[in-house]
Amino acid sequence: MSNSFKPRVPRKYVGGYRPRIDGLDKASGKVKFADDLTTKLSFPDMLYARVLKSPYPHARIKHMDTEAVEKLEGVRAILTYQDPEVKKLKVTNAGWTDGVDILSYERMMWYPMRDRRVIGDCARWVGDEVGLVVAADTEAIAEEALRLVKIEWEVLPFVLDPIEAMKEGAPSVHPELRETNVLPEDPVGGPDVFLQKGEVDKAFSEADVVVESKSVHHNPNQGSLDNWCCVIEWKEDMLTVWSNSYEAHQTRMHMSQMLDLPLSKVRVVCSYVGGQFGRNDTGEQPFFLYTALLAKKTGRPVKFRHNNRESFLNSRQPAIYTARAGAKKDGTITAMTFKSIGDAGAYADQTMFALKFGPAEIAEVTLAHIPNLKMEAYGVYTNKLPACMMRGVANSQFNLSFGQIVDILAEKLGMDPIDLAIKNFGHEEESLPNKSLVEVLHEGARRIGWENRHKPGAGPVYEHVRKRGMGFSFHPGWHAEWQEVRRGRIQVSFMLNPDGTVMLEAPTVETGSGSNTCNFLGCLEALSFLAVRPEDVHYSPVVDTERSLRDCVQTDSSVSYLQSEAMMVAAADLKKKICELAGPKMGVKPEELDIEEGNIFIKASPDKRMEVKTWLMEETDLAPIVATVNRVPLDLNTGIPFIATFAEVEVDTDTGEVEVLKLVVLHDCGTVMHASGAEAQQLGGQVMGLGEALYEEIIYDEKRGVPMNFNWIDYKIATMADFPPVDPVLMEIWRGGGEYGACGIGESTLTCTPRAVLNAIYNAINVRVDELPVKPEKILKALGKI
Amino acid sequence: MVAKKDTSPGTGKPGGNAVSEVIRLRVNHAWHEFVTGRDIQPSETLAYVLRERLGLTGLKVSCDEGACGACTVIMDGKAVLSCMTLAVEADGHEILTIEGLAQDDPVIAAFAEQSEPGYGTAMQCGYCTPGFVMTAKALLDANPHPTLDDIKEALSGNICRCGCYTAIAQAVLHASQKISTRGGAHE
Repeated sequence: MSNSFKPRVPRKYVGGYRPRIDGLDKASGKVKFADDLTTKLSFPDMLYARVLKSPYPHARIKHMDTEAVEKLEGVRAILTYQDPEVKKLKVTNAGWTDGVDILSYERMMWYPMRDRRVIGDCARWVGDEVGLVVAADTEAIAEEALRLVKIEWEVLPFVLDPIEAMKEGAPSVHPELRETNVLPEDPVGGPDVFLQKGEVDKAFSEADVVVESKSVHHNPNQGSLDNWCCVIEWKEDMLTVWSNSYEAHQTRMHMSQMLDLPLSKVRVVCSYVGGQFGRNDTGEQPFFLYTALLAKKTGRPVKFRHNNRESFLNSRQPAIYTARAGAKKDGTITAMTFKSIGDAGAYADQTMFALKFGPAEIAEVTLAHIPNLKMEAYGVYTNKLPACMMRGVANSQFNLSFGQIVDILAEKLGMDPIDLAIKNFGHEEESLPNKSLVEVLHEGARRIGWENRHKPGAGPVYEHVRKRGMGFSFHPGWHAEWQEVRRGRIQVSFMLNPDGTVMLEAPTVETGSGSNTCNFLGCLEALSFLAVRPEDVHYSPVVDTERSLRDCVQTDSSVSYLQSEAMMVAAADLKKKICELAGPKMGVKPEELDIEEGNIFIKASPDKRMEVKTWLMEETDLAPIVATVNRVPLDLNTGIPFIATFAEVEVDTDTGEVEVLKLVVLHDCGTVMHASGAEAQQLGGQVMGLGEALYEEIIYDEKRGVPMNFNWIDYKIATMADFPPVDPVLMEIWRGGGEYGACGIGESTLTCTPRAVLNAIYNAINVRVDELPVKPEKILKALGKI
Repeated sequence: MVAKKDTSPGTGKPGGNAVSEVIRLRVNHAWHEFVTGRDIQPSETLAYVLRERLGLTGLKVSCDEGACGACTVIMDGKAVLSCMTLAVEADGHEILTIEGLAQDDPVIAAFAEQSEPGYGTAMQCGYCTPGFVMTAKALLDANPHPTLDDIKEALSGNICRCGCYTAIAQAVLHASQKISTRGGAHE
């Protein structure tokens, strides 16, 4: 493809196009995921756990009879809501952390909303884990056991629609906690009106043009192929967990706190993860706890693995946004308001984080020059699948609204929306226009052929009924280094062996985002002074809390550079240590020495050089030299670059079908760490982006409250046959702090896609569809055809 | 249920009752015998037997209901979903899993190396990759020079949630070129 990315600073390893370091192992099936490490062959005496799932959207267990379960051959242990070890478990919630930091029970992010019991007696959505878990010789026996349990349910009234749920008199989802389903104001996100700047009402009354919009983002599922699982062994006082959790140290903290065990007695081993995408990034999961209790009870390793249908454990946070914008005739935006209602589902999770934190950050880095601004948000419980994070916390939902109001306002003003965006949006500490935004939007316009865009509905018609249109949406990127300070210390270590080989310790559970490749390249780049070659570096992908440094969780898309930045510090330390060792032997002070290209020399006589590894082997005690670094991310507010997606679509006005003809996906990355991997993210994110826009949706039987399509036959994930041409565009305009000045892009690859597609649909047919996903019937309805 | 008792070339015991029937699977060129009821259950899928009883964990069981393709293996030259095939149905048949491919197999190599500008890598998390490799292998065995449309058709039963479809298609084209250069596919 033409126009391939050229790095701003050419480097030997970082930034280029090259295969993944795990490419061969993954292509040949050698990579071992947790499910592969925990077969019956590896754990011959292993038992299998299954948990009861509620058939009702809201019901309480009045009575449970487990006699038949106990009698079933092959059942080894059962635990019910009435057992003391289950009752003893503290009331918890699904909001310990957002994956960025390690948090304890007391310090969990959403401590005011502890709303969940582990294996309690009350179910709040169809699929809620409730009442009973069993361990048996096989999964089939365990499932049979669940069918044999006799339960008398008290079926309670339920509510599915968040607007209905807000109304007075609606069935309460958590009656013992709150009468209302509206979540309380929270200590982190602030009050309901969480952002207010200037005089919004006055500004609207004085504006030349005022427009309004509504958008509804829905409930796509992360859809990881690697169903979440664990095997737990509890022998004597030591509890060992093998899992495809991507948060090894947080999992250890969660289990230690909930089971009242010292951290030193919990060992968590995490290998590769087959796709994360935000799936329960919340630092807790009940299945770890009840599997552990079953392991204790039986004295045998116990495996719990969600099946594919149970893997519909949470979804993106659905949100209804209404927005308003006022502007002068010349396109200067004077006021904006955003109001959101988030559907939390049955448990609050990080709902308020999604509704408040994300938009507040966007206000800082994009809406900073809008003088009058107001944002408010409400989270609402419903008896549905809990909603949480999915490839981003809140950005996709906000973008669906933001990109729409910009498009509507531009049309009303008679402006090109690109010009309107450039005129108004940027970071608080800079003057407009924002260079990154200008270049991203102009490059996108060039690549999609924006000059050929016509007025809404006024384009050519193909085959009598097919109409084309173009649209775009843009957003600030996120996860620059200064936004990662909350992570605390990033830990990496180099162990230089005397033969010049290196043991790299940069723990991060590889989820597919390619941070392991970035770390490997970062290591080679950092140790280029030692002329370390790829074959010299040993890097284990397995995080084991018994021996690993703190794992840098692959959330926020930022591990691609965070550990590499720390490696630059570790490399300087390693060089210093080598010089300190060599100084006395060479009869000079360490600071008089330097190392380049694998050779050590006295700075004053640079022509006389000695190979470091030869010297280490011949002259030293052969002990490895270790440099370990604890580095807090650089707290230097550098702003943030911009990203955008441009789309061209063709809408069949007879059938309502939307075909995406082309997408251009642009990211200003600051520094590209691994170009092939970054483009893979830009391309790959469109499976979810287009899925959210057009195909993917959890559908409920409204009368019974039952989700109807928790499977991949009825829940539509795009395949190769559905995938349109996508032009991935990597850019380096903005620069953050540190050696690389990079930012994360993995989450943001799909942020702008739904809105870009929806704006393109509007441009094609001159009618707006406000609600995702845009299925054919919504188009036909909008066109007045049904 | 179609265990071919008397006619399959590798079948052990002719006739016999269901409890003690011997099932023979030829997996990666070696025969494996199982006594049903003792070594395997008649309800066990081929995917389960390959993974849990033979330790061939390259194939993955994700949806376990024929929707995702992660469990794809090659049976008698054709890509099949091992989660939708009972082990007893595979009695006497030739099964190839990803472990049975050579380390320098052109399809594996093409997937591993994929990195040129504009296409990305052929995998991210890699969970679906063995399934894609085996589907692609079966396609190339049958059609060594597929068009992009042929590839899309053949591989549209496999889901890659990381979305590496562009690169996977490109890797299959590269594999096709490798096969031509080497003068034929080999296992």
